[in-house]
Amino acid sequence: MNKVHEWLHGRWTVPVVSGLLILASLASSRLLDAATWGDILMVAAAVVAGTPVVIKAWNALSAKVIGIDLLVSIAAIGAVIIGEYWEAAAVTFLFAIGHALESATLNKTRSALAELIAVAPDVAVVLRDGEQVEVPAAEVITGETVLVKNGTKVPVDGVVSGGAGSIDEASITGESIPVEKATDDKVFAGTITTSGFLQVTATGVGADTTLARIIHRVEEAQDAKARTAAFMDRFSAWYTPAIIVMAIIFGLVTRDIVLALTLLVIACPGALVISIPVSIVAGIGRGAKDGILIKGGEFLETSAKIDAVALDKTGTLTEGRPQLTDVVPLHADVDRDELLQTAARAEAGSEHPLARPIIEAATAAGLPVVGLPEHTEPVPGKGIVATIDGHRVAVGNLALIESEQGHDTADDARVAQVVQELAAAGRTPMVVARDGQVLGVVAVADQIRTDAKEMVARLHEHGVKKVIMLTGDIEPVARAVAAQVGVDEVRAGLLPEDKLEAVADLQRQGYTVAMVGDGVNDAPALATADIGVAMGAAGTGVAIETADIALMRDNLLKLPEAVSLARRTVNNMRQNIVIALGTVAVLLAGVLFGGVTMAIGMLVHEISVLVVIGNAMRLLRRRKERTGTRSTDGTGSSLTHDEARVTQPA
Amino acid sequence: MSTTTSTTKTILRAEGFSCPSCVAKIEKQVGRLKGVESVKVHFASARVEVMHDPALATTEDLVAAIAKAGYTAKAAAF
Repeated sequence: MNKVHEWLHGRWTVPVVSGLLILASLASSRLLDAATWGDILMVAAAVVAGTPVVIKAWNALSAKVIGIDLLVSIAAIGAVIIGEYWEAAAVTFLFAIGHALESATLNKTRSALAELIAVAPDVAVVLRDGEQVEVPAAEVITGETVLVKNGTKVPVDGVVSGGAGSIDEASITGESIPVEKATDDKVFAGTITTSGFLQVTATGVGADTTLARIIHRVEEAQDAKARTAAFMDRFSAWYTPAIIVMAIIFGLVTRDIVLALTLLVIACPGALVISIPVSIVAGIGRGAKDGILIKGGEFLETSAKIDAVALDKTGTLTEGRPQLTDVVPLHADVDRDELLQTAARAEAGSEHPLARPIIEAATAAGLPVVGLPEHTEPVPGKGIVATIDGHRVAVGNLALIESEQGHDTADDARVAQVVQELAAAGRTPMVVARDGQVLGVVAVADQIRTDAKEMVARLHEHGVKKVIMLTGDIEPVARAVAAQVGVDEVRAGLLPEDKLEAVADLQRQGYTVAMVGDGVNDAPALATADIGVAMGAAGTGVAIETADIALMRDNLLKLPEAVSLARRTVNNMRQNIVIALGTVAVLLAGVLFGGVTMAIGMLVHEISVLVVIGNAMRLLRRRKERTGTRSTDGTGSSLTHDEARVTQPA
Repeated sequence: MSTTTSTTKTILRAEGFSCPSCVAKIEKQVGRLKGVESVKVHFASARVEVMHDPALATTEDLVAAIAKAGYTAKAAAF
């Protein structure tokens, strides 16, 4: 009985029953020559298919909405009154079929999100009093230890506290290659373990997980109206009543009721109403599956216009983790090791970001950096002066060394040359002097990301005219990085407000600017840009909520992908509007110049609706160009950042 | 924040929204229930947000009301 009940309320019941009645009517009037029965069955078909439409039209009217249902209701009832039973049945039947197909296909365009929701975990195995207890995923308590076995979903956001394994994070980052996880690594709810066994300390549960934030964000984005959509809403609000008025005037003037009713049917704005929402839903859904979160329709439209991209250097184009690149001894009695060790010992008491790579390199080379200097004195903007074993050691730029008392000027020219060469190669040189004697120069450099160059190339490919690098770093270093990455313009030595000014300057030149950044110092520029892009947002809830585009994975190639997706979605929207308006125009001409009946009008109209939905569904297909699988230098697709290491000096 | 009523927010995800006029229909059906304070239907994402008193209108009641309007809905954890 349940099956019957379900079927009676199913999507296809009305069109099937109505269709059978139409067939019975045709059969009885043609074969049995029972014209009256034929008419009765035809009206019955119209009643079956038309009743839900009339009810909907009534509901809409009581909510003061004049919609498609009203147009179809008037047309069908009118057709019955004037004795055009076949037209009435055909129109309502086709409308019912169209609706059933629409709802089936519309669900498909929402499928990307449905898949995301489907990965939400149901149950979790937690350790309570030393025992494994299975609880609903949303009822895990923050701080509890959750056991994640091989092949199961991670039920909560958390930090690995024991065990090791690999996890497929595709649902969060869009990347399907499993990621190795060990103690202290972050894991996300909704990702799936592909091997190993993990103990996870829960940090986020239920609505407080990254997955939940993504789903919310995507839904809000799909519901948020694009400017074009808002315009179309206003348009169809007066369009439908206008059509009714036009049909009445037409009917009065021509005294041709059939023509007036046909006008009503063919002018249905069905395709028009859904043309934009389906594209947006499909486009934003596709992005979400690939780890690209776009804030909403309006941002999608703006993103499609991006023609300038401003990138922060440190942490975006580069790893943001400087490494030692050069050790150049310039003193006859000092070798590489001694030079490096001296520099490292002097820096041991320093908080400066450039101190860490020097100390790390010395430790790695087996040179002990024991204890702190007896005295440490940072010289702002220049370097550091420390006292080691009674000697005064200075590590810093040329200005610092020149100010050192009793410094030997004999080598000045040579030191300056080395410093200049290193800076020109994109490294940050530091001169090391002991008691006024220059021992040599050490240099550190930030690693350029492997995919930085390809990202810039692809941005250009996708129609971005200007890619500009903004950095607080010094000019020669910035230039060297820029040359390797291929950006169009560099602005170096910038303070946070200068970055903002640079973005505003581009906007004044007429560019639609996207700014990519990660640090707090980029915040003003991110806010000023037309589109603020956050990278590697999976770990930070704030980025997911606030950025106009949040790229879940720390992968530069997601940026051109996002721009391309935005352009394709907006193009799709435009195509849909053209299809919808074009259909109405052609049908209108067809009616006025004869030949198009009510039934044909409805058929073409429903087809146009399905074409619009089908067109939007193209966005759901993944493009062939896949992130991370293409390589411009032919070295394959491995994207380990270590390979980006700046060439070591011989 | 300081209200003492036991109103909770339930999010349901529905299937088969095909036209924006479905919105009014569901809002009406669900809004009619006792204990329902407000209903918001999002067309594009096929999502229904209901503020209700779970003692008067259970989640099952909400699902049933949406079914009466002709749509299948499921309650979601978030």
